[in-house]
Amino acid sequence: MTALSLTINGRAIGPIEVRDDLSMNDFLREVLGMTGTKFGCGAAQCLSCAVIVDEDGASSTRPTCIAPAVDFNGLTIRTVEGHAAGGALTPLQVSFIEHFAFQCGYCTPGFLNEGQVFLERLARDPIPRAELERTITEALDGHLCRCSGYVKYHEAVRAVVLADAGRYLT
Amino acid sequence: MKWSAAGGIVLSLSRFAGAQTPDFLERETLPGRGVPHPAVGRVDGVAKVTGAKLYASDFRAVDLPGWPAQTHHALLLRTPDASHVYEGLALDGLGADAKPVVIVTAEDVAKIGLRVPSFYTGDLFCPVGTTPLYLGQPVALLIFDRFDAYDRARTFLRDNPHLKFGAETGPLARPNYGAFRFTRVAGATPDAPDLYSPIQEGWISPGFVESSGRPVWQVLPDAKGADYVKGATYGTAIRDELAKPAAGTLVLDRSFATQSIDPMFLEPEAGLGFYEPGVKKLDLVLGVQSPFEAAEAIAYMLGEAMPDFKPASIDGKFCYVGGGFGGRDHTPFPLYLALAALFFPGRPVRLAHDRYQQFQGGIKRHAFKMRSQIAVDRASGTIAAFAADHVLDGGGLMNYSVSVAVVAGTGAIGMYSVPKVDVTTVAEHTRGVTAGSMRGYGTVQCLTALETLVDEVCTTLPLDPIEFRRRNALKVGGRTLTGNPYSVSVRAPEILDKLDGHPIWRNRMAEKAKARAGVLVGTGVACAAKDYGTGADCSLGTVEVDAEGRISIHSDAVEMGNGIGTALANRVAGHIGGIADQVTVAQVDVFDALGLVKSGDPYSITQAEQDKAAANPRWVPEISSATSASIGAHVGTQAASEAARVVFRFGLWPAALAIWGIPAADPRVNQWDQAFWQGETLIFSGLPPLALKAIAAKAHQQGGVTGAMTHAFSRWAWSEATFALPGGDWSADIDALAVRRGSGEFQVLDRKAVAFPPTDYNRIGTSFASMCGTTVRVEIERATGKLTIAKAYSVVECGQALVPEIVLGQAQGGFAMGVGQALLEDLPPFEEGPGNGQWNLGRYVVARASDLPLHDLEIEILPPLSPREPPKGMAEVVMIPVIPALLNAIFDATGHRFQSLPVTPQMIKGVIG
Amino acid sequence: MMIREWRFPALMVAAVLASALATGFSGTGVSATGAGTLAAPADFAHIADPKARSAAYFTELGKVLTNPRCTNCHPATDRPRQGDEARLHQPPVFRGLDGFGLDSMRCSSCHRAANFDPARMPGHEAWHLAPPEMAWEGKTVSQICEQIKDPKRNGNRTLADLIEHIGKDTLVGWAWHPGPGRTPVPGTQAEAGALVEAWALSGAACP
Repeated sequence: MTALSLTINGRAIGPIEVRDDLSMNDFLREVLGMTGTKFGCGAAQCLSCAVIVDEDGASSTRPTCIAPAVDFNGLTIRTVEGHAAGGALTPLQVSFIEHFAFQCGYCTPGFLNEGQVFLERLARDPIPRAELERTITEALDGHLCRCSGYVKYHEAVRAVVLADAGRYLT
Repeated sequence: MKWSAAGGIVLSLSRFAGAQTPDFLERETLPGRGVPHPAVGRVDGVAKVTGAKLYASDFRAVDLPGWPAQTHHALLLRTPDASHVYEGLALDGLGADAKPVVIVTAEDVAKIGLRVPSFYTGDLFCPVGTTPLYLGQPVALLIFDRFDAYDRARTFLRDNPHLKFGAETGPLARPNYGAFRFTRVAGATPDAPDLYSPIQEGWISPGFVESSGRPVWQVLPDAKGADYVKGATYGTAIRDELAKPAAGTLVLDRSFATQSIDPMFLEPEAGLGFYEPGVKKLDLVLGVQSPFEAAEAIAYMLGEAMPDFKPASIDGKFCYVGGGFGGRDHTPFPLYLALAALFFPGRPVRLAHDRYQQFQGGIKRHAFKMRSQIAVDRASGTIAAFAADHVLDGGGLMNYSVSVAVVAGTGAIGMYSVPKVDVTTVAEHTRGVTAGSMRGYGTVQCLTALETLVDEVCTTLPLDPIEFRRRNALKVGGRTLTGNPYSVSVRAPEILDKLDGHPIWRNRMAEKAKARAGVLVGTGVACAAKDYGTGADCSLGTVEVDAEGRISIHSDAVEMGNGIGTALANRVAGHIGGIADQVTVAQVDVFDALGLVKSGDPYSITQAEQDKAAANPRWVPEISSATSASIGAHVGTQAASEAARVVFRFGLWPAALAIWGIPAADPRVNQWDQAFWQGETLIFSGLPPLALKAIAAKAHQQGGVTGAMTHAFSRWAWSEATFALPGGDWSADIDALAVRRGSGEFQVLDRKAVAFPPTDYNRIGTSFASMCGTTVRVEIERATGKLTIAKAYSVVECGQALVPEIVLGQAQGGFAMGVGQALLEDLPPFEEGPGNGQWNLGRYVVARASDLPLHDLEIEILPPLSPREPPKGMAEVVMIPVIPALLNAIFDATGHRFQSLPVTPQMIKGVIG
Repeated sequence: MMIREWRFPALMVAAVLASALATGFSGTGVSATGAGTLAAPADFAHIADPKARSAAYFTELGKVLTNPRCTNCHPATDRPRQGDEARLHQPPVFRGLDGFGLDSMRCSSCHRAANFDPARMPGHEAWHLAPPEMAWEGKTVSQICEQIKDPKRNGNRTLADLIEHIGKDTLVGWAWHPGPGRTPVPGTQAEAGALVEAWALSGAACP
C-alpha cells in the first residue's frame, strides 16, 4: 500500500492508501467514481483511458489502464470532467460537438485529452500550415474509434487550429 | 481527510458527487432542460464531451439513489477448452486476499429451477463431467465482496490455469442451426408471374442430412418434404444448366471465405444488478441494443425459479451504449448479470468484461464459406443464372445464426435482377465463440463474394464493370430473389451514374500509367443493396409539449452512437417546430399507459390467429424490438414522429386557430397540413406567424392534446389504425395511441379500426433496401506488399436524411470498418481464436486513422427522391461495397484475385513476387 | 485428473520456433540445448577447432539475439514489433529523433520504470529502440554476428563492452523477465554474458 496524493482538475486529492498494483484507471473509476475516463482495452491499445499530465510546463497524455495509480503520485492531471471549467465548454469541446465528431462517444474523453494536448503543444511550438493534417494524424493515431472513421475528429481539431491560426501556426 | 481505498469508496465518492445524486433517468435525459449547448450538434453532445455518467459501465451502486452505497464485483469464468471433459474449478492458487465469497456453477443454477430462453438454448454454465459446448462457455460466476479481491483474482485467473479437464472427447457435435434453399425461376417476361419463388411457395429446407450433419441438397423422395422436392427440382435444373452451359454463355465457379471478426465496440459489456429480497425487486443497469428482449429473457429465465430466486419485479435501467454494431443485440450477458444479483441478494453487484473477456465471450461475426456460380450471356452481358452455397460457422449457441443465414441467402444477388437463382445455406454449430448479429449481417459476406465475382466476369467478357451493372441492375418494380419487389425506392442507375462519372473511376487508366517506380496502382468498384428492418420492427414514442413550448421525447430506441436521439428531435421538430431539450432513449417502461399486450411470435403467427388477436384493442404483434438492422431512422423515429403529428393536429393546430381567431366554419380549419414551421415559428399563408411558445400556452389553456404516446409495427408495411379524437377521426401508421390533454394524465384510446400487415409477408426476404456504391484507388508497394488507399468515394441513397451529419459520419465509420474487414481484422477459429481468453487489441487490429484516406474520402448522399420520401436505413450498406471494391482494386493493381479475407501485405507480397 | 496447460504458452513456443526458423538460426546447426535454456561455454569443449567452437558459442547466443524479445526493439524499420508473434507495434509508434519515440507518443507514455503485470505492460526506465544500424529483425545469426562486431553497427562498442552490455545491461536483462503473456528469452542473462565472454575470448568467430 502507498499513500497517494495528486492533483486532479485543479483539486488536491489524498493522501489515499492504495494497493501498489491498483491501476490508475481503477483508481479514477472505482475509488474516486470519476468514470469520464474510460476503460476500453486495458492494454494501452485504444487510449480511451488517456488523461492529461501537466509536468515541467508542458502537457502530455498517458493511458491510465496500464500504469499503477502510485505512478501518478505527486502529479497534476486533467480528465475529461475538468475541461469545461465553470461550465463553459472549451473551443475543442464545442468543435467536437459542432462537427459531430463522435457517435457513441466512448472514445471521446481520450480524443479530447489528446486534442487538447496537441493544441497546447502547437501553442508553445507552432507548425507550418502545410504540416497540419499530417501532424494531427500523427498526434491522434494512438486513439481508436470504432464508429466515426476518424474524419470528423480530425476536422474538428483542425477547425480549432485554423480558427486561431496566429496562435497555432507559423 | 485520509481516505482508504479498500473501504473508502462511499467516502471518497461523496466528495465528487453533487449535493444530491441525480436520478438515473435524469442523467439519461439529454441534453437536459436548461443545460447550455451549442446550437448545432447531437442531443448527447455536451454530456459526451464532459464525461457525464451515461454508459452502463459508468454506474456504481453509489450513483443510484436508494441503493446501498457499496458495489460488489462479479467475474464470469469461461472455458478455453471445448474438447475435453470439464472436471471442475481449481481455484487453490487464489490468495487469501483474492477469494470470492460466492461461487455460482451449473450445479447451483440447476437447483433453483431456471429456464434457459430458447434463443440462448444451451447450458448457462458447463456442468462438471461434460465437454463444454463451445470455447468461452461460462463455467462459473465468482462474486467478490471487495473490488481489490476481484481485481487480484481477475489478473491471476487470466494468467494461470484454473480449470480441471479430463479425457479428450473432441468437440461436441450438434445439429445444424438451420438450412434453407431459396430458389426462384422467373417467367418468360418481366411482367409474367414467376414459375417458382419463395414468396409463392414458402421457404423450404432439405429433409435429409448426412451423418456428418450436412444437409442433403439433392432431390430425394420425401413424403413429408414435398415442398422441398418441388423447389429443389427447379434448383437442380439451374445447377445442371450451370454445369453444361449453352454456347455463348460464360460460367464462372468460384469459392470465397470470409473470416470471423469482433464488433469491437469500445465499451466492453458491463452492468450493475441489485436484488432486494424483501420486496423481491431485481434492479438492473444495462447497455444493450435490445432492452425489451433483455428484460423479457431474464423474466423468462426466472419465471419458474424457486421463491428466493423469483423476483416480483424487474426494473431495467437501460443506458447509452458505447458502440453496438449488432454485437449487443440479444447477447446472453444480461442473464449472467441477473444471476450475479440474485446469488448475492441485498447487495449491488457489478459484472463487467475486460477486453480479454469481451473477446472470449462477446458475439462475433459469422465466418462464411461460399461457392458461387454465375452464368452470363456473352452477347448481351446479362446474368442468366446464379447459384450459391453458403456454410456459416455459427459457433456455440444458435443466437441469430438462422436469421443471418436467411439474410445472406436472400441477399445473395445484391443489386441485380437474375431470372434463375438457386441458393442453399446452412448455419452450423461449432465449438467456436457464438456468432450473431453484426453490421452487414450476412450481406457483407455474400456480397464480397458476389461483387468480386462480377468483377471477374467483367474482365473475362470483357465488359466495363459499370456498364455490366447497368445492364443487370434491378429495376423499379423488379423482383428480388424471394419474388417480391422492393416497396421502397430503387436507385441503382443513379448510383452507377455517380460512380461512372467520378474522377477516381474515370482516371483509373491514367493513374495506373503514371504509377511511381516500385508502386502498383489499381482502381476497383463495387455496389451493394442491403436490406434494413427485420420484418417485425416496432417503435414506441411519446412526445409532450409543456406550456412554455418545451418539448420532451421518450423512445424505446437505443442510442449506440447512431444518433437516434438527435434524429428523434429533428423528426419531431419537423412536426411541432421545436428541438426537444429532453430526450430519453432505450426506455421500455414509460409506455405503460398504452397497456399493450402481445401473444405468439410475430414471424410464425397465422393469419387466423392474428385476425382473432387484433380484436383486442391493446394487442400488437410485438411490443418493442431491438435497435438493429439499420432500422433507427425508418422505424425508431416512427412512433415519436406520429405522436408529434397528433400533438400538432389536435393540440397545437386548434390553439393556433384560436389565437388567429378563425371560426369553426372557416375552410382553413381543415388545412392544418398546409401550415409549416420555420424554426419555432408556425407559418400559414395569409396569417401572422405564431411562436411555438404562444401556441403551446394556448393549447394547455384550452385543454388540447399536449402529449401523445404511440406504438408502430412494421412487417415490411406499417400497421394502420383509426382513432376517434375530438376534431375528427385520425388514421395513421400506428396501432396504439394514448393522449394527454393540458397537463392531465395520458389516456389510452381504443382503435376504431386496425389493419396489421398480412402474416404471409413473413415470406418476404426483405422489401426495404438501400443501395451504396464505392470506388477506391489503391497503391501497393512492390517491395513489401503494403497497401495504401489513395482515394475513395462512396455514394449512398437513404431517402430523407434526418441528420445529414450523422449519415455522413456513419458512412465514414462504415468505410473504416470495411477497410478493417478487408485488410486487417481476423479471428482464427477455435483454440487459437478469441475463445482461448488471450485475445486483446494489438493482436486484433482495427483500422486507425493512419490506415484511412482521411482527407481523400468523399461521401455523397443522394437527395431524397421527393421531400416526402421517408428515411431509409443506411448504417450497414455503407460498409459493404468498400470490401469488394478494395479487392477489385487489388486485382487491378496485381492481377491476382484473392478469395479470402483479410488480404494482408504478406499475401499481396506473395503474389507480386 | 489433470490441469491442462494454457494453449497460449504452447502457441508462444511455436511462434518462437517459427521466428527462429525464419531468421535462419536452426540452419546454422549446433543447438546444444532446448528452446528454453542456454548452454554453458563448457558444453562446447568437445569442439576441437577453436574457430568452430567460437562460432558455436555465438550460435548458442543466437537463441537470445534472434528472439522476439530482442528483435522487436532492434527492428528493421522505424516501427518496433510486439509480442511473441512479433507483430507490428500497436498503437503505431516510431523511433523519433532519439529512439525514445515521437513528440506525440513517447515510449515512456506507456512503458514506465517497471513492468505492470496486471495489464501485461512491459517497462524499464530506459525503454527505447536500438538505433537503425543495430537492426536485427530478419537477419541470420551469422549476419548479426558480423554486425555486432562492427563498431559502426554496434554503438561503437568493444568486445568487452559487449560482454558487459549483454551480460549486465538492465534493459537487455528485461528480456529474461518480460512479465505475463510474453515468453522470456532462453537461459539467464548471466549465462548469455558467459557465452559472449567465451566467444570474445576465443576470437569472436562468426558462424
